Order: sequence, then structure tokens, then C-alpha cells
Amino acid sequence: MISESILTAKKVRLRPLQESDLAHFQRWLADAELRRWLGSVNEQPSVAEEFDWYVSKRQDPDTILWSIEAADGVLVGNVELRLSPLNRRAEVGIGIFDREQWGKGYGTEAMRLVLGYAFGELKLNRVELATDEENVRAIRSYEKCGFVREGLLREHRLIDGRPIDSVAMAVIRSDWEAR
Amino acid sequence: MTVAGDIRLEGELVLLRPRVDDDLALFARWHGNPDVRHWLHMSEMPTQTLELERQRWQIARNDPTRVSFVIETLDGVPIGNIVLISVDAMHRRAELGIAIGEKGDWGRGYGTDAIRVILRFAFEVLNLRRVELITDIDNERGIRAYEKCGFVREGVLRAKRMRYGEPLDMLMMSVLRED
Repeated sequence: MISESILTAKKVRLRPLQESDLAHFQRWLADAELRRWLGSVNEQPSVAEEFDWYVSKRQDPDTILWSIEAADGVLVGNVELRLSPLNRRAEVGIGIFDREQWGKGYGTEAMRLVLGYAFGELKLNRVELATDEENVRAIRSYEKCGFVREGLLREHRLIDGRPIDSVAMAVIRSDWEAR
Repeated sequence: MTVAGDIRLEGELVLLRPRVDDDLALFARWHGNPDVRHWLHMSEMPTQTLELERQRWQIARNDPTRVSFVIETLDGVPIGNIVLISVDAMHRRAELGIAIGEKGDWGRGYGTDAIRVILRFAFEVLNLRRVELITDIDNERGIRAYEKCGFVREGVLRAKRMRYGEPLDMLMMSVLRED
């Protein structure tokens, strides 16, 4: 589903994803380096494929999706929680799609907002992710938010035909409460 | 994913054949046994009935990323099931799930043999590169069987699932094609 909650911090605001955001995402996904770090998108999607992605997310009751805006209202990316309600956990996926906006701390702040929502509103026990071991910038950002490395998933992804290890990371409730 | 209905994968102790609609009562009986359910990440679900089992199977049988086999002894008695789920063609990996539903057949090496057979299928027929699994941290018998089949411990996922209302750590393991 598309989140109806608006979450605000100093540098970013998370708001419901709108159809008018899709054209921007689709255009940014032409960037091969962005796709490489996202890890889940092989080729730039067509406009129709991007719309299908939006519809499937909107219909999925176990997904919560936001768009990320900078404080001045400019769209920079999106973030989603994929819930496993019976196990009180979620997997998080985040992307600052506009590379002009990389390195400004938007991702870190957006992630903290989502973690606050996950442990606060949703009362989850665990938020997890697996990221490309070579994605040094992302890993540093996740660690700043309280993520702990739990393991190394060997040859977890194939990128341009090359096997790449992934780092499994998670924040559990006690990490969050002790921060 | 559909595998040919007449495919038979033979090991030293067991034979794998595709799961069919008529197996429903068998699964309902296996999953009705609390000792079997205990290890199957089902503790937070409603107690299995034939109807619930049917609903689960309807979803599973139409899932293109899942391959479901029934494990039989060499003389044709069904004793459990084994699956590959989340078969990912892009990264050439899948997740393994197994249960010996007949408790009287635990500890006889059937599970280990079935895993060896399905790994051969995964690597040689499906051409995968990585097969992974997660299991309860205290599932000593399971972990021993996985290690016999070449699985390596990759990390402990804290509070990964709920079991009888309490958060439980799980072990992440995988076997690579070259292992």
C-alpha cells in the first residue's frame, strides 16, 4: 500500500507516493550506477513497467511505500517496508534516485524516520536488509542508523555476470531502544 | 514453476516426485502434528485444517518461483516434502525448505538424502549458483543435516521470527555450486 503517513525530519519529508512521481523514478533508472546499487533492477523500466510496479505495490497489504522529498519539496527517491506481520519484522528498501542528491544525508535521515515508524507505530521487533558488500556508502549510512552486520551472504547477487557477496544487516528493537 | 509431472529424482534412500493436488490430506495430517509444526515456522499460524491447507497450496502451486516435491521412500511411501522457493533467475539462487512429516521416520537419513538429491537438481538442472536457508537457532538436528550436505553457517539473524509469541534467532546457511 501507499503510506498515508507523512513523516518529517530536518532535511527530508516522507509522503505518500503519487502517480506523478513515477515519471521521475523511471527517468532516473536510466542511470546504470543507480541500478547497480539498487541491486534489483536490471534494465531501465518502461513507463508502463514503472506503472505496473506502482500498482502492485499499492495493492500489496504487506508493503508500505513512501516518496522521499528534500525539505524544499523536491522529490529525491523512495523507501518501502515489506512486512512479515506474523513475525513482526520488515525488510526495508531505500533509494535516493537522483544522483545529484547523493551524499547529503537524505538517505540516513529518511531511514531513521522509517525505523522510528517501524518500531513505534508498527511495534515491529526487527527491520532487516541485505546490501551489496561493495556498496560502502550505503553500509556506512545503515550503520549510522543503528544497523548491525549479522552475516555475509556469499555470492548472493550476480551483477553483470559477476558474483557479489551481500551483507545481511538488521536493527532489532533492543538496538533501537538503546540508541 | 512447473516441472514435468513424470519427473522422478532418485537418491540412495528416497525418491522425489512433484507434489500433486491429491497430496492435500497428507500435508494436512503432517502439519497437524505439533512436533512437526514446531520446526516449520508455523507456530504463529492458525492450526492447519484441510481448507487452510488447500488455500496455501492454491497459492503455492501457482507460484512461478517455487518447485515442490514429495519425498517418498524407495518403496513408494510418502514421508515428507521438500521445496525450492524464491527461485531467482536473475541472481541464480533459491531458498530450500524441507520437512519429514512422518515423525517415526525422523533420524533415518531420509532428509539428508533428499537434500542431496534436490541440490543436484538445483545446480545441474536449474543451473543455480546458490541455495540458502534459514532455520531456528536451536534446530540442532536440522543444522547437522544441512552441514552434512555442505551448507555453511553465514550468520545469526536476531529476532528473525516469532515462535509461540517470543522472538527467536535464526541461523542463515548456504551452499554454493562450487562447495
